[in-house]
Amino acid sequence: MVLLPTTVVGSYSVPEWLERVKTEYYQRRISAQHLAEINEVAIKAAVKDQELAGIDIVSDGELRRDNDVDYFLARIPGVHIPQRAKADYFDYYDAEVTRPLPELAGDKPGDRPGDGQSADTSTSLGLAADFLFTRQLTDRPVKFSFTGPFSLSRRIRDEAYTEPGDLVRALARRLNAEARELAAAGADLLQIDEPFLAGYPEHVDLAVEAVNLVTEDVPVTWALHVCYGNRYARPSWEGHYDFLFPAVQAARVDQLVLEFARKGLDDLRLIRQYDWDRWLGLGVIDVKNPEVEAAELVASRIRRALDYMPADRLMINPDCGLRHLAPDVARRKLRAMVAGAAQVRAELASH
Amino acid sequence: MDVDLRPVRKLRESAAARSAVGPIVEAVCASPADLARLRVVCDWIQYKQNFREPVVGRPVGDVGTEIAFDLRRCADIDLAAHIKQALAGPADQPGVTLEPWVSGRDSCIWRFNQLYWQALSHWEAATGREYEQSLPGGESDARNAEAARELILELFRIWDELAARRALPEELYVLELGVGNGNQARTWLDEFLALDRRHGREYYHRLRYLMGDYSPHVLERARRAVGHHADRVSALVVEATRPSVTLGFLAGKAFLVYISNVYDNLPTDELACVQGRTYRVETQAFLAEDDADRIAGQLGCRTGELVPLIDRLLRIGPELLSEASPDKCADTGQAVAFWQALWAALRLRERYVPLEGLDSYQVTPTLTGEILRPLIEGHGDVRMHVSNGALGSFTGTLPLLHPFGRVQCHDLFLTSSQQYRTGFYGPGKYDGSVVNWVNGPLLQLVASRRGYDVAYAPFRQRPGSNITTLTAQARD
Repeated sequence: MVLLPTTVVGSYSVPEWLERVKTEYYQRRISAQHLAEINEVAIKAAVKDQELAGIDIVSDGELRRDNDVDYFLARIPGVHIPQRAKADYFDYYDAEVTRPLPELAGDKPGDRPGDGQSADTSTSLGLAADFLFTRQLTDRPVKFSFTGPFSLSRRIRDEAYTEPGDLVRALARRLNAEARELAAAGADLLQIDEPFLAGYPEHVDLAVEAVNLVTEDVPVTWALHVCYGNRYARPSWEGHYDFLFPAVQAARVDQLVLEFARKGLDDLRLIRQYDWDRWLGLGVIDVKNPEVEAAELVASRIRRALDYMPADRLMINPDCGLRHLAPDVARRKLRAMVAGAAQVRAELASH
Repeated sequence: MDVDLRPVRKLRESAAARSAVGPIVEAVCASPADLARLRVVCDWIQYKQNFREPVVGRPVGDVGTEIAFDLRRCADIDLAAHIKQALAGPADQPGVTLEPWVSGRDSCIWRFNQLYWQALSHWEAATGREYEQSLPGGESDARNAEAARELILELFRIWDELAARRALPEELYVLELGVGNGNQARTWLDEFLALDRRHGREYYHRLRYLMGDYSPHVLERARRAVGHHADRVSALVVEATRPSVTLGFLAGKAFLVYISNVYDNLPTDELACVQGRTYRVETQAFLAEDDADRIAGQLGCRTGELVPLIDRLLRIGPELLSEASPDKCADTGQAVAFWQALWAALRLRERYVPLEGLDSYQVTPTLTGEILRPLIEGHGDVRMHVSNGALGSFTGTLPLLHPFGRVQCHDLFLTSSQQYRTGFYGPGKYDGSVVNWVNGPLLQLVASRRGYDVAYAPFRQRPGSNITTLTAQARD
């Protein structure tokens, strides 16, 4: 792996025409098959854009997803969504659970399919198939991201569990099964996104517990992305990452992917203060601002991070997904990020 | 021939409105117009001061003509003569043309509107009354103390919750856009201080109350009105349609943006959908021949000299006009009289120009006409305001909100697109300013695409008022 590898957080620019087509589907004016084909074309373009920008680890841009939550909730057995048409594709569904989610055979710890056994895919969420489509598009490493159990739970009206944490845990077990399928399909870098966690800092222990259920016995590199929300290109909450520590130290993940470009680099102090000894995904591109950063600015952010982290544990990425940026802006931001990382890499090589 | 009778409520209520319809149809049918290519539109224009003649003709691209009647003024006129003139086409109409054909938002009526706010003190001196007295009810709805209290208590509730989570910022920003004479700010701050003393959290000392207005004169007057809160208040010159230019520093910080009677006074275009095709309504300001002659006579000049003099008035205002052209306006009072006479006489011609695709039309610098598609397509013939200025202001304001912030706006809003089929919503004249009702469903749609919920409710503190309260806050 190259020093200071560049990657994305997950989502890629959704052009206005694609938004319109997606909305047409949710208003039942085009078929699911047509939308699926359009999405595949968009994913190919997104992967190509990332390659051309020089991104080392690419993603499918999450372009099949209507938003960060519903794509999963709509597939999880036991989550009831009374109304599946939407006025706009990006709107959230009203989802509910009225009885505990059905557990997959082998869901419980110690009762899972062993090596060589195939998982029951009859109730698969289909993420492995999504990954495989992307895998065959590129020779570069692929990051595959999905929303974590805590954030998913925040969009479900829970009328089933007396202990609210149990819904989070049940979702985590479902995602663990999915992660196993992804790993079996060849995924080697999986990322859990928890965009809602910053709004509920008092639940960080539960969120970490659930993250560990998701990652349990799935032998891949795991990343955990925590941001302050990026819905409609604005933060859902404000604050600092203090709430994550020390709880996140217990998370069985290999990378922590955080936003710094928009919020400033002050929270890097936490990395040192709590002696975070794993990888850090350093957000160096502000995804809420259409102004394209200069490569030099990106480089300066990386240099500053090097005061806190060694270069061989630093991954370079935008603050969050690029979905709300115009396509041209997204492309230029990625190019700036790659150029900034290259500058610092060259400086390190010359020393 | 299509006949579009819009003022449905008035037709039920008013015998005069009903009795005007028959003679109109008779007169149109007796005219030489090609009835197969003719649209007849009947409005009831509620503004006594407006920009319309009782009967006007509007070319609809190259496919036909629309003749529009103001039922309120059709009873006692020679309909045949007016129809003949309307059918003659805009180029053949006598009078003094003040501008080329332009989109509604680019019309010189907005220069008059701007002049009104910039030279308000002169206008008020001439009329002997403050502008608030010309508002319906004689005062701005913004001064209502009960409404202010309700809003402040809601803020306290949010701040208490954030404080409990240690997420309350040190500085608590409240922004008022369009400050009028400062009475709203004074009422609001007085109430805030009183309620805060009772609440006991000392929020008043963390409050930053920003007053934004594009008129330094208005700001100064407002600043005087809140002199006893001076250490909590800042005044900023803000271009209402582009608030982020001045207020970018406030992004994500404002807990309340309060706007009262601003949006209805910002430039707007109109679009029309006629028989499945979309048109932009172009306008051209003019003075009728008689009015132009009369005004020129009062100044002792030739009618041909009016256009450059009007342009000068709009550029430098009445005070300087009297210095620059003392031969025509000996003092400021005469210049203001000239201005008021012009304003009273000002009329707009209209024509419909085909739009080549909604995305070829720019609603605001960052928003194409695509956003209009759900409102304008597939609903038959309709003509609606685009509310460009209001939309620019609104979309520029939303990013200023703290995640728990809200916009509250009292104004003249349509709350359903259907209303465009059943009434007239501007432009009209309020004193020396322009008024158009705001396309509420469009604001709602745009906000929704950006993750904000917009709700409309009647202004509760004054039942029966036309004022509607818009509340916008982040969804999810």
